[in-house]
Amino acid sequence: MYNPYSLHGKTILVTGASSGIGQSVAIECSKMGASVVITGRNQDRLQETFGMLEGSGHVQIPADLSNYSEIQKLVEQCPKVDGVSHNAGIAKIIPVKFISSETLEEIVGTNAFGPILLTQTLIRKKKINSNGSIVFTSSLSGVYCVHYGESMYAASKGAVSGFAKGAALELAAQGIRVNCVNPSIIQTNIFKNEGDIISDEQMQEKIQNYPLKRLGVTTDVSWAHIFFLSDASTWITGVDLPIDGGYILI
Amino acid sequence: MYNPYSLEGKTILVAGASSGIGRELAIECSKLGALVHIIGRNSDKLSETISLMNEGKHEFHVCDITNDEELDMLVDKLPVLDGFANCVGVAKVMLMKFLNKKALNEIIETNAVAPISLMQKLVRKKKFSKKSSVVFTSSLSGVYTVHYGDALNATSKGAINAFAKSAALDLAAQGIRVNCVNPGVVATDAAFSGTSLTKEEMEAKQQYFPLKRFGQPKDIALAIIYLLSDASTWITGVNMPIDGGYTLL
Repeated sequence: MYNPYSLHGKTILVTGASSGIGQSVAIECSKMGASVVITGRNQDRLQETFGMLEGSGHVQIPADLSNYSEIQKLVEQCPKVDGVSHNAGIAKIIPVKFISSETLEEIVGTNAFGPILLTQTLIRKKKINSNGSIVFTSSLSGVYCVHYGESMYAASKGAVSGFAKGAALELAAQGIRVNCVNPSIIQTNIFKNEGDIISDEQMQEKIQNYPLKRLGVTTDVSWAHIFFLSDASTWITGVDLPIDGGYILI
Repeated sequence: MYNPYSLEGKTILVAGASSGIGRELAIECSKLGALVHIIGRNSDKLSETISLMNEGKHEFHVCDITNDEELDMLVDKLPVLDGFANCVGVAKVMLMKFLNKKALNEIIETNAVAPISLMQKLVRKKKFSKKSSVVFTSSLSGVYTVHYGDALNATSKGAINAFAKSAALDLAAQGIRVNCVNPGVVATDAAFSGTSLTKEEMEAKQQYFPLKRFGQPKDIALAIIYLLSDASTWITGVNMPIDGGYTLL
């Protein structure tokens, strides 16, 4: 069957694969024919994702990407890849006046330093094939809009989107493309994990702010990743793609 | 075979399918399983497009979409659609100080007013199924960049781009999504005949693109299909630059 979006024959590294968007990217990539290398902090949940992958030839490598030596270990064990999907990320709502260097380091460390250093190490160790594609899960936040208490999260995602553009430019010579997807609220546990950041009632209220009248689901984002990872997008690099049900229109 | 980008079971309308991006899009839509209706001015070119498509009950409609009566007749004939992509567009290089109303009318009419009218009539006559998707071929020009002598093109593309966002908002309640693709220089016959640059100058121009090439119609067609497909049901009102990294610098 003709499918220019297929990942058949490609090896894709997926971070943050133990849950949420990363898990969905891993599963969908495997369904699209890719061999997937999945990584995440939680070994049990990573194993769970591993069990959900279709096809064969997949690898799981547990790693905490906020730790540089673990990044280096991951890259050593990682086979050569045709694509990288960065999804590891945390969210925390803290007003500006309560920011501390610890929480700042935690959020920017996980959301920005981790993916940036992983990209650097993969490039340095020549683990990304030419004509490869790198996709970051950035955010609407920090690139298109923000919300109250989101300044650190926005800073970390703004950093990712800025880095992606710089990397897109420098890596173009090797034929490696770099793009961001910028989701708004996706129904994942990222909100639950951090201690009920948003209540169910608040969530229902929020939906009314979305012209398409729903929140995102993980496949909304993973299919955008796959579009950018596939050969259907070989002339697209350095872009941010909002995935937001029309949120930023208003 | 699993494919969330498939157009199987969908009816897609492609305007401007006699050549370039529109022709390529019609072909790719047919390969991905869609039933395709195509519009263009030249019946020979349209039947050539049909002959290049995967077999199916595709239909072509000869129509000058700048003519309101022809447009009404066309819309009446069309079936209910799941997607519409506008690829109608002309380009003209003219320095600002030489602009005139005639040229301005001509470009804005073809690139903005006509596609907007077509869209309006399709909505008005209820030609969209629930969960339809519409994609306008906008441009880098007028939205992200401009070039010398680009005022006509930039103005018309800025207009269609702005319209798409408004339509995205107005139609969201019906589940209809509206997005734009914003290509850089795409190697089509129209792009190359409309330029005053020499072949050598065009070669040199490719070096301004970090990925070191111009776009191919297929680069644009496959992005449009992503936006037409059910893989993008939470995306509306966006611009997608497709430019080999051009706007990075």
